[in-house]
Amino acid sequence: MFILDTKIKSNKKKILKTSLIYLVLSLSAIIINYVYGLFGHGVHSSYMTWMFLYPLLGGAVLYLLIFLLVSEITGFVAYRMFYNIYNSGIATLTIGSLLKGIFDIAGTSSVYIAVFYAIGELFVAIGLVMLLVLAVNLKKSQV
Amino acid sequence: MGAVAFVLLDTFAIQKSLVVVEPESAMVANETAASQSDPVLTDNSYEDDNIKISIETVRDDDSTIYVADIQVSDPSYIKTAFANNIYGRNIKATTSEIAEAQNAIFAINGDYYGFRDGGYVLRNGVTYRNTARSAGDDDALVIDKDGNLSVVSENQTSMESLSNNWQVLSFGPGLVENGQIVVDSSSEVSQSMTSNPRTAIGQISDLHYIVIVSDGRTSESTGLSLLQLSQEFQERGCTTAYNLDGGGSSTMYFNGEVVNNPTDGKSTGEREVSDIVYFGY
Repeated sequence: MFILDTKIKSNKKKILKTSLIYLVLSLSAIIINYVYGLFGHGVHSSYMTWMFLYPLLGGAVLYLLIFLLVSEITGFVAYRMFYNIYNSGIATLTIGSLLKGIFDIAGTSSVYIAVFYAIGELFVAIGLVMLLVLAVNLKKSQV
Repeated sequence: MGAVAFVLLDTFAIQKSLVVVEPESAMVANETAASQSDPVLTDNSYEDDNIKISIETVRDDDSTIYVADIQVSDPSYIKTAFANNIYGRNIKATTSEIAEAQNAIFAINGDYYGFRDGGYVLRNGVTYRNTARSAGDDDALVIDKDGNLSVVSENQTSMESLSNNWQVLSFGPGLVENGQIVVDSSSEVSQSMTSNPRTAIGQISDLHYIVIVSDGRTSESTGLSLLQLSQEFQERGCTTAYNLDGGGSSTMYFNGEVVNNPTDGKSTGEREVSDIVYFGY
């Protein structure tokens, strides 16, 4: 199965770097919420307030766990595919949450927000399944 | 980024014209106008055989509040109008522009229905939208064909059962029901937090109404909370009162002039809105 093909070398440092980038993105999300709140005349949206959780839990924490538990999966060719799909999912969910927050604060709505969530959740689900498959096969190969 | 830009433009800018409202024919309007007596008009009052309006400006709660006391002889003089006479999304004009187009004597901004996809819209007896808003944030104002105001929950009341009414506006929340204040200091909808410019309408008795617009978001006038707004209506004897779109939308128009000082807190001047509630022929 091609997704389980392995490269010669894994790259653990890249996982840690990704985790740190997600941490910075989480802080950015918190700052965006704070600055937006200054101009919101006291109106807040939980979607904007908590949007930082997507990059924090879905990004920084997950990649830290990967680094600590299954860092060798970067040796799989398919890791790059997981990386791209999963990150796209987290980005889509975060942007969807930001837009939902902007619309809530403005007192409006959009039918397209549901599309952001649907695509984001689909990508994250696919990414997690791939991660699970890679992790299981990594463990098998280590036995 | 393209998708984000599209969604933002679709929500805030792209106009979608859904229904063009045919204005009353000039002949009918002229006949109606001919039947009214010459009005007695001052800077802050209007009176003819059918419509009596007086506006007072008061200071309360560190805010400038404009209170209009309005009596009409027939509920048909309480009207609503869409910007450019078009029902649709992001179709906008200032309250004064819409009012002038309708020859309104007195007008306030409506519920800004065109900024949302949900919320009942029934105007001058015609149903335009029957999509209820999400539960918990779904108070609608009903003006029946006798001119009586009531507040209903859109999730508990079908649009079909309301279709025989004169007007239905969707913003809220209800402020006063059966003479009792129905909001408290923590009861704030997402569009209407703490002290802000406000627009609201209430009823004292048959065909006797109070309309309140408050300035806000300035050093001279902080604006009203929903509780303070409710108290203003209750103190004036209203049995029912309902909050309309506020913030930068809040505008009171009388006899060709804007009465209040509309501002969104950043710039002054009227904001374009989707619709108005007005009194006139």
